[in-house]
Amino acid sequence: MYAGPFEYLRVSSWDEAVGLLLEGGDDARAIAGGQSLVPMMTLRLATPRLLVDIGSADEPRIARKDDTLTISALTRHTDLERAPEIAAACPLLAEAASLVGNVRVRHRGTIGGTLAHADPSAELPAAVVALEGAVRTLGPGGERRISSRDFFKGYFTSALEPAEVVTAVEVPVVEPGTGSAFLELVRRAGDFAIVGVAALVKLDGPTCARARVVLCGVGDGPVDVSDVVALAGEPFDERAAVEAARRSAAAVEPSGSPHASAGYRREMVAVFVRRALLLAAQRARAADGERR
Amino acid sequence: MTTLPPDVRLPAEANRVVGRSLSHRDFLEKVKGSLAYADDWWMPGMLYGRIVRAQVPSARITSIDVAEASALPGVRAILTAKDVPQNQIREEPSGLGIDPVPMPVLAADRVRYHGEPIALVAADRPEIAEEAAERIIVEYEDLPGVFDAERALDEQAPKVHDLGNRVVEWRFERGDVEEALRTAFVVVEDVYRTQHVDHAYLEPEAGVGWIDERGVLTLRVSTQVIEHVRDIAEILRVPQSRVRIIGTYMGGGFGGKEDMTVEAHLALLVWKTKRPVKMVWSRQESLLARSKRHPFVMRYRTGAAADGELVAQDVRILGDAGAYPMLSSRVLFAGGVVACGPYRIANERVESIAVFTNNVPTSAFRGFGAMQVTFGYESQMDQVAEALGLSREEIRERNFVRQGDPLPTDEPLSTYVAVGETMRAALDALGPRAKGAGPVGRRVGRGFGCNIQPYGRSVFFADRASCWMGFERDGSLIVRIGVTDLGGGQAASLAQIAGEVLGVDPARVSVYIADTALTPLAGGTFATRQLYMSGNAVLQTAQELRDRLVPIARDLLDVADGHELVFGDERVGVQGDDARFLTLSELVRAAENSGVMPTHLGTFHAETGEFDPRTGKGRTFPDYTYGTHAAEVEVDLETGVVEVTRYIACHDVGRAINPSRVEGQIQGGAVQGIGYALTEQIASEEGLVGSSLFADYLIPASTSVPDVRPIVLEIGPGKGPFGARGIGEPPIGPPAAAIANAIADAVGVRITELPITPEHVLRALQASSPVGEEAPRHKHAATS
Amino acid sequence: MSKQPLTLTLNGEPVETWVWPHQTLLEVLRDELGASEVKYGCGEGACGTCTVLLDGESVNACTVFAVQVFGREISTVKGLMGEDEVLHPLQRHFIENDASQCGFCTAGMLLTAVELVRDRPAASREEIRRGLSGNLCRCTGYTKILDAVEAYASELRAGEPRRNEP
Repeated sequence: MYAGPFEYLRVSSWDEAVGLLLEGGDDARAIAGGQSLVPMMTLRLATPRLLVDIGSADEPRIARKDDTLTISALTRHTDLERAPEIAAACPLLAEAASLVGNVRVRHRGTIGGTLAHADPSAELPAAVVALEGAVRTLGPGGERRISSRDFFKGYFTSALEPAEVVTAVEVPVVEPGTGSAFLELVRRAGDFAIVGVAALVKLDGPTCARARVVLCGVGDGPVDVSDVVALAGEPFDERAAVEAARRSAAAVEPSGSPHASAGYRREMVAVFVRRALLLAAQRARAADGERR
Repeated sequence: MTTLPPDVRLPAEANRVVGRSLSHRDFLEKVKGSLAYADDWWMPGMLYGRIVRAQVPSARITSIDVAEASALPGVRAILTAKDVPQNQIREEPSGLGIDPVPMPVLAADRVRYHGEPIALVAADRPEIAEEAAERIIVEYEDLPGVFDAERALDEQAPKVHDLGNRVVEWRFERGDVEEALRTAFVVVEDVYRTQHVDHAYLEPEAGVGWIDERGVLTLRVSTQVIEHVRDIAEILRVPQSRVRIIGTYMGGGFGGKEDMTVEAHLALLVWKTKRPVKMVWSRQESLLARSKRHPFVMRYRTGAAADGELVAQDVRILGDAGAYPMLSSRVLFAGGVVACGPYRIANERVESIAVFTNNVPTSAFRGFGAMQVTFGYESQMDQVAEALGLSREEIRERNFVRQGDPLPTDEPLSTYVAVGETMRAALDALGPRAKGAGPVGRRVGRGFGCNIQPYGRSVFFADRASCWMGFERDGSLIVRIGVTDLGGGQAASLAQIAGEVLGVDPARVSVYIADTALTPLAGGTFATRQLYMSGNAVLQTAQELRDRLVPIARDLLDVADGHELVFGDERVGVQGDDARFLTLSELVRAAENSGVMPTHLGTFHAETGEFDPRTGKGRTFPDYTYGTHAAEVEVDLETGVVEVTRYIACHDVGRAINPSRVEGQIQGGAVQGIGYALTEQIASEEGLVGSSLFADYLIPASTSVPDVRPIVLEIGPGKGPFGARGIGEPPIGPPAAAIANAIADAVGVRITELPITPEHVLRALQASSPVGEEAPRHKHAATS
Repeated sequence: MSKQPLTLTLNGEPVETWVWPHQTLLEVLRDELGASEVKYGCGEGACGTCTVLLDGESVNACTVFAVQVFGREISTVKGLMGEDEVLHPLQRHFIENDASQCGFCTAGMLLTAVELVRDRPAASREEIRRGLSGNLCRCTGYTKILDAVEAYASELRAGEPRRNEP
């Protein structure tokens, strides 16, 4: 119920944060929204001796330049839900954000924090990978720009080095004619996903020009099955979606838990990939229809 | 049944306060945030207490090292078993055989379940207590354990206690079940399994203890039972008059605060340190170690004649009592008494057994055994209907029990049975099936379940409740009664009852509850007994008080015997003559002047009776509440997800003292039952609890359930005040069966294990025969 | 480890106290600032019992360290009432609809609902149901709570909120 003792320092810049985390070594952790870290500490699953509060290191900010959205790491899930820039450029991110926890978690949780935490059941990592985003960081060695494909290393493990923090997330604006959908199987609204699917489909008439499908809840991190889905250049219809979904299910190795066995998760991948592809395509057509 | 003396006039249509949905002071405090619960109490010099719990389910304790913990600055006490004067919590003899296995307050040399208390810490600050608890090093030598009730029956299984694994065995029998089954036209046999579930009240277990200026050890705790002073006194070896329990308004109880929670450990720390101590369990601790509902394995064999008459019901219940008895004996008794359902069956046999395992101890939880069996008997009824080609309504109509019919104990039901009316009302409200195929990829189905739930304690307990009542000089009223308030408006209803009889506006009635020093004992709030017992206690005391004042009034008003006096609107007057009246204030003063005290202490004695456990015959519960719930579900054929789209819950409550609160009880109970049916489970593997996170314990959220439409019938008067029947427990019984029956209706598969997870449903769908082929007579799901 | 000063605005009043970093906002509100109307339900941020408003936005007090919100504005259920303890209209609707049984979830439920209706005055019953899905209640089955919030929302839309006597 009660966290162990720690020293608390609040920084006003990323540089300051990195400096303090470097000094603190293994005993230091960064905290932003704290929606994962604080309960871990009060449940004594984590006992850092130094918390570096990066909540004021930057402004929550979403900036669009040409075809790239740069989202400050401190942007909250609720900001992603509401921002017109996100709705216009990558609505998948808003949809994923709206599914995180309950409204109060979304008022505090940040995109930087969620990506750094790298929970394999979390929605936002899958969405960012689906969107082929990149993670910008600052560490003792300087700045890095890590493709989201390379950012999630394993179970609750990101590519962050010691004393390195996420400063921003870059997301390409989706191409016109692209529809997206985030669907998940949960036992109750706001629970972690048993299986979650982030899907993007760009249509070129009856043909699929591009499809990205990334899963959560079925591996050590987000699982990108876009290559397996392999719909680019193929005619897109229900049958194609069914087949792509079947291939996706065959390609995953989920673990079981009391909430759902491995076999069930695998079967649900087939169901939800199909549903997400169809919904994304439907939205692509609707957006297309609006544009005309 | 309480009879009303002739000069009390309570024509049904003219009830002034009973039957009205009046609010009460405590609800105002709740919305303002000013009600002080158990944790909302601080005392100077207060310490914080923490329990050290076993990390393994079955072991010998080889050493406990407290050196490192003791050295922490701020630690004021560390206690282990040797520090407990009498290290035993004994269940009161049930009158039917004493449970011979006491539960230790702190485990001495043996651990029997994951989470069992081993040591106590008190420290200046809560985080120091937590730190100290973590630094206490306990060494264990693992012992073989048994984690499955069926395995525990085996002679070769590890023994949880030296005298063996059987806790209790009840048998009730009427007629010749084997013969009737042999000659029945159809026999449906199935096995139903239910799971460990947690009360999950939003307020965790909490309390503060201190020694007052008289040297009395005082505990202010969230509890359903203040009578535990006796247990505390025994543990500490102090006189019972030197312990006091004040029961706070609970943030939910549901039976989870019926056995002691923090009391014994808190008392020990206070007694040892001589300082005030607060103990609040963490949610995770509560999910891990608080007593749970008994999982039941229920084997049913139901025999019927070709025309639908039930000829036999053979039930075998096996309950997992966990590591210690707690209230297992009574839970299995209650479940056994009503295991055949609200049906008239000539040949019945019920065997109801509880066994020890190295799982968490199980005990009271809303429904108390009678709830689990509803899943059994109502699933059976639908299966019998299917086997005979009769409708589900018809099979029940033909067999519903009636007033005067016997239970398996040969005891006749003494009040009107309106279960048929509840079934018709619930199904009427559900309405005709929607036409058309339903949503793509989903199947719509409907099901319902009827139940019989006891209210009031078993009559062989000679239950009683006392109440003190007194007028103030201005005609306002004070009531003192030892009830505890679960949040169901227990205290509020008493103000209404007293106000009704004595003509006092409930807003001018102050009810003081739940203090062993200051309020006469009324028994705990459980067994849906509170309205029956304390309601009747308040009713009776009010009547007796009124009777004492009537002669004074007659005298002053110069009214001869034979003319009726009417108490109402703060006055006492003469029936039919508006001009002649006294204010209550005038009456009270006049009484005092005549040497008649306007106060009274009354005791309501419940009906008593005897039961012979050897024959399984005798009197059991004072009465029952009947109901029917009807559900409409949509089953997603691809995922197995079951969504409850409509839900009707109907009960005959006899008389609704406060109709809106009765509705609230029904809605809340039904939703708890839906959680039990679909999502709730405390999972463990070889006795080790998997997750104790609240995020993993899936109680229904607002989006998990539809609006439960309550239908409150007032048909058959019960034994509570003004003919009320208890409504606390009944609504939690039917949902599991109603939903399982609806799923069977939707997709033709029968789920016999709870919770009905999407994965279970999907596996059942995959295993069932394709549409069009001849189906086996009873299909049930292999769920593993 | 020494304590740090903490300044907050609590229900419109400035308050000052000393806290350790490890103390959550929940603990500080209850134990240091006398705001025991904020309750502990789970400590995980999963139940909504400890909801408070932080600069007008709902947060779980159990998942925030108090030091993180230095200088900010906190509102609890007591902040809903007006001068002289006059009830907020939603509180009155809760009483009228019997939306509270044990009352433990009530404070969190009220704050979440007030925020919801403030941000989306035209919310339908289903939207209200979804908006409250993070506030768990074990007693009521939610229906009467939804009734109360719906009644409040429609009263607000009609432009006639009534403040009631305590």
